[in-house]
Amino acid sequence: MSAAADTTASGGAQGLLRRSLAVGRTRAGLVITSLVVLVAVVGPFVAPQSETGFVGAPFSPDAPGTLFGTDTLGRDVWSRFLHGGGSVLGMSVLCTVAGVGAGLLVALVAGYSRTWVDELLMRTTDVLLAFPAIVLALLFLAVFEPQPWTVVATVAAGHAPRVARVMRAAVLDVAGRDYVRSAESMGLRRWSVRLGDLLPNVTGPLMVETGLRLTYSVALVAGLGFLGLSGLQADQADWGLMINENRLGFTVQPWAVLLPVIAIGLLTVGTNLIADGIARTSAGTDREVLG
Amino acid sequence: MSLGRLVARRLAVGALILFVVSLLVFGASLLLPGDAARAVLGRTASPDRLAAVRAQMHLDDPPLQRYLSWAGDLVTGDLGDSVVSQTPVVELIAQRSVNSLLLMVLAALIATPVALALGTWSALRRDRLPDHLTSLGTLVLASLPEFVVGIALLFVFSTGLLRVLPAVVDQTQGVLVQPEVLVLPVLTLALAVSPYITRMMRATMLEILDSDFVHQARLNGVPERKVLWRHAVPNAIGPVAQVVALQLAWLAGGIVLVEFLFDYPGIGEGVVDAVDARDIPTLQALVMLVAAFYVVVNLLADVVGVLTNPRLRTGGAS
Amino acid sequence: MHESERRAIAAALAGGGRRNLSRREVLRGFAIGTGALAAPSWLAACSAADPVGGSQSGEDGASGEPKRGGSLRMGAAGGGSGDTIDAHKPVDRPDINRVHQLYEPLLIRDAKFELTPVVAESVEPNKDLTVWTARLRDGITFHDGRPVRPEDVIASFLRITDPKDPKVGAQLLSFLDRKGMKKLDDRTVEFTLTRPSALFLDAISEYFQGIVPEDYDPKKPVGTGPFAFESFDPGQRSVFSRYADYWREGEPFLDELVIIDFTDDAARVNALISGQVEAIESLPFGQISVVENDSKLTVLESESGNWNPFTMRVDAKPFSDVRVRQAMRLIADRQELIDQVLVGHGKLANDLYSPGDPCFNDSLPQRERDVEQAKSLLKSAGQEGLQVELTTSPVSQGIVEAAQVLVEQARAADVDIRLNKVDTGTFYGDNYLSWPFAQDFWGTRSFLAQAAQGSLPSSPFNETHWSDEEFVSLVKSAEVEVDEEKRCELIQDAQAIEHESGGHIIWGFVNLVDAYSNKISGLEPNVAGHPLDRYGFRHAWFV
Repeated sequence: MSAAADTTASGGAQGLLRRSLAVGRTRAGLVITSLVVLVAVVGPFVAPQSETGFVGAPFSPDAPGTLFGTDTLGRDVWSRFLHGGGSVLGMSVLCTVAGVGAGLLVALVAGYSRTWVDELLMRTTDVLLAFPAIVLALLFLAVFEPQPWTVVATVAAGHAPRVARVMRAAVLDVAGRDYVRSAESMGLRRWSVRLGDLLPNVTGPLMVETGLRLTYSVALVAGLGFLGLSGLQADQADWGLMINENRLGFTVQPWAVLLPVIAIGLLTVGTNLIADGIARTSAGTDREVLG
Repeated sequence: MSLGRLVARRLAVGALILFVVSLLVFGASLLLPGDAARAVLGRTASPDRLAAVRAQMHLDDPPLQRYLSWAGDLVTGDLGDSVVSQTPVVELIAQRSVNSLLLMVLAALIATPVALALGTWSALRRDRLPDHLTSLGTLVLASLPEFVVGIALLFVFSTGLLRVLPAVVDQTQGVLVQPEVLVLPVLTLALAVSPYITRMMRATMLEILDSDFVHQARLNGVPERKVLWRHAVPNAIGPVAQVVALQLAWLAGGIVLVEFLFDYPGIGEGVVDAVDARDIPTLQALVMLVAAFYVVVNLLADVVGVLTNPRLRTGGAS
Repeated sequence: MHESERRAIAAALAGGGRRNLSRREVLRGFAIGTGALAAPSWLAACSAADPVGGSQSGEDGASGEPKRGGSLRMGAAGGGSGDTIDAHKPVDRPDINRVHQLYEPLLIRDAKFELTPVVAESVEPNKDLTVWTARLRDGITFHDGRPVRPEDVIASFLRITDPKDPKVGAQLLSFLDRKGMKKLDDRTVEFTLTRPSALFLDAISEYFQGIVPEDYDPKKPVGTGPFAFESFDPGQRSVFSRYADYWREGEPFLDELVIIDFTDDAARVNALISGQVEAIESLPFGQISVVENDSKLTVLESESGNWNPFTMRVDAKPFSDVRVRQAMRLIADRQELIDQVLVGHGKLANDLYSPGDPCFNDSLPQRERDVEQAKSLLKSAGQEGLQVELTTSPVSQGIVEAAQVLVEQARAADVDIRLNKVDTGTFYGDNYLSWPFAQDFWGTRSFLAQAAQGSLPSSPFNETHWSDEEFVSLVKSAEVEVDEEKRCELIQDAQAIEHESGGHIIWGFVNLVDAYSNKISGLEPNVAGHPLDRYGFRHAWFV
């Protein structure tokens, strides 16, 4: 899903967003994402129990006074589910911002320098791209111990080279255009060109990349939680960790695993639908699909 | 530049990347927190036993010396002994590699033809309901993390609704004598890679079906079926082959969570185990193996791309 | 028999009135001092009266006469490519299991935690506990048919305490004079200690102090155990065959024993349910109901002296103030910890270890949760709204879970416990034994043996940095005290000090829950702290 075109034509980022909202997919994605975000944000305030209190014997599917039974320590599954979205969401957003930001920076430098800097940066991304993201993350986390910030840094480090690749291509494309040449001939500094002429003209692919990376961030952050490596306080409710800690009771008490799995699934689908909608709009191939 | 030189150049770049990767992997192991010897001995650690294990693991040698001897052994295929097991890492990894390859190959063999057919079918019914459904379905599948799909399958087929398939692998025997344990992990991986292939096939087919020579063939009265099989499909193979190769590379990472979920004794589970057990030689070897596989398959994808792209094949003197 | 035995064990472990009846019986188990010196050694008496030694837990079970034959497949918890079959280097569960099958120490703790003679027929000290004489069992042989000689015993202990490659048991034997071991005659060995100690018996009665031949080669492992080596595939499976000349009459009943490793809990349970194995150790608490509802399977639950304490460093702030330690102990709701962490499968503890020790001080009041008292203690210590970091790690089942429960319980007393969850390697890394507030797990030991391991300045694993002078001197006196009653008094006084101001929060003793198929019989509860009747397959048999 690499978006090629830019949005020089009309209105930049905001215009693109507005136009992409006309696509059914974007709207559907927005609704689904909002729903999950709503659960994550409002959940802690409406949860019937605290996220750490004990309400019954561990793994009892029908403990009295609970909606979805108890988890591995006898805590209320429904309440922990309502409490557990914030961390996944927050960390994923941070990973995305950091990863896309770093990747964009590399792309702006490399794509508009055509010197050894470009070569060095691109060879560095080659090395980082020699691992699947999860293996790179595991190697990093083996060294730097799972903490929320190391997890964010790790996932972002996995994104950056991939973003850099895509965005460099977009920057290279724009850098050859006439208006950039004319800006150069006016003697503008390189960073002025980068920020004033290149950046505004790669917002299309940038937004698509951001949406995609958000989807992958959610998958990776939750996946590391599923491996028990999210670095959060052990008793904190977190959708990824919930899957990990309640795995053993899956046969007896499936809800403790299914609820967070469903939420993560919805979140990734939602964000990807938005990214896809933007990609279609920016590529000029938008077509109504849903009603 | 001739094709041979192009491939040679890419190979050299790949080797260089692997060299830098090896520095990175080795450097990471130097920084590992805690004391590997203590981790190995745990509660049975006493100062004298610790010293003995440290010496055995060469933990007290200078880093450069450790890197050189490690890299030298690596090149000659001697991956060292697992500190946890004292047995050669090669032995530990061999069976896991076979198991993981089995998963990946089966997933690719199942996903590819299905995805190609689905992509073609979808392209032929462009903008009609089947196309929209396929497009939406693949988009949703492509979004879902593989462990989400895996857990859903587990719930449906093994622990929840239907209890027809085993949830975990019986570690007492090889996976080949219990083929039923392969079903769910293979299905999970196939579902993870097929959306990309389907979408690429659809996009490529649309482009080709729109192209001049297909129009020309149709105008010449060539039957639609023949247009499809003689003209469209052969031209789609190049770009799609590249995507297939890239998906195979993706599988090298995809197996981590899937193997962990199904307790499948492969490379991915081995990486997680090695991180847990602080088994540095094993971790180093496994990560290098994954990286090598990844680099080689990406290289293959490159080469396939070059071979099937006439422009690059003939003109490209860069 | 089954039920009455269980009750006796429960009584031995429990506090309160029921205990007194069985007390005397249990006392026998630790009566090395007076017994050995005054009357003929209880060890000798025991072996003379009962030729099959400590096997009372096994074959005289409820289901009639044991039968010979069959191959039992056992599902082990854990295991990895690092596993060993060396007699003196066991680390994980499958290692320990294999050691129990292949090798035997001079003595061992039986199902009631009593010392029972095995390779030795008796072990007796001199008057000041510096010289110990072991008499070897008549006619006992290694798997290759050779008799066990004093030379083999001496070689075994030299191997264990080899300064160049010290084995698991070396540290326990730090008082052994390596050059002082002597063969007195063909069946008698004399040990000399560098200082007097009653702990010698504890030190030699561990499973990792097995007697092996003088020319022992771990590649061709030979011991005196009930099963002989057939094959070993680390992390996978190990196979053993019945040792026909085993010294215990009639045992073992099985022809073959296969130990199969399962790192995954669910896989192990599945293997039992589907009949791929006949017995499994360590049934996850969440799965007990599944096995109980299966009429073809039996749950085997044993009380034990295994404990998973919270450890507060008495020399580090804020725990250097005894009031803070006492407050933390009052914050813990022990029954809730047992209910949530062990799903009720545990026994209440009173901040003291070694409940099976005949000298155990059960006169101390059971500590109950008292948030108000804890708050006022903290206030007087100037630590209202205390914030502390608890380092936790999944070093054993239920550890991280217990930490989470304590965090929740502390909230009621306005104590904010921050969890620092680290991986096993970090936990045992450079900071091991210096975390100010952490956790650990311990097996079943007598009081003196446990104190030597973890509660003295000289202990290798003193996580709490406990070094109370009075406590130390009481323990030191007890270790060299020959008179049993006096020793018990010293021990009880020492325990009273730990109960008052120690650095452990000991909330419960963990029950071992295993399961087996109804096709087999002969496995009984065992309080020695090892699963499946202390891996007692020698007296298991197919119905």
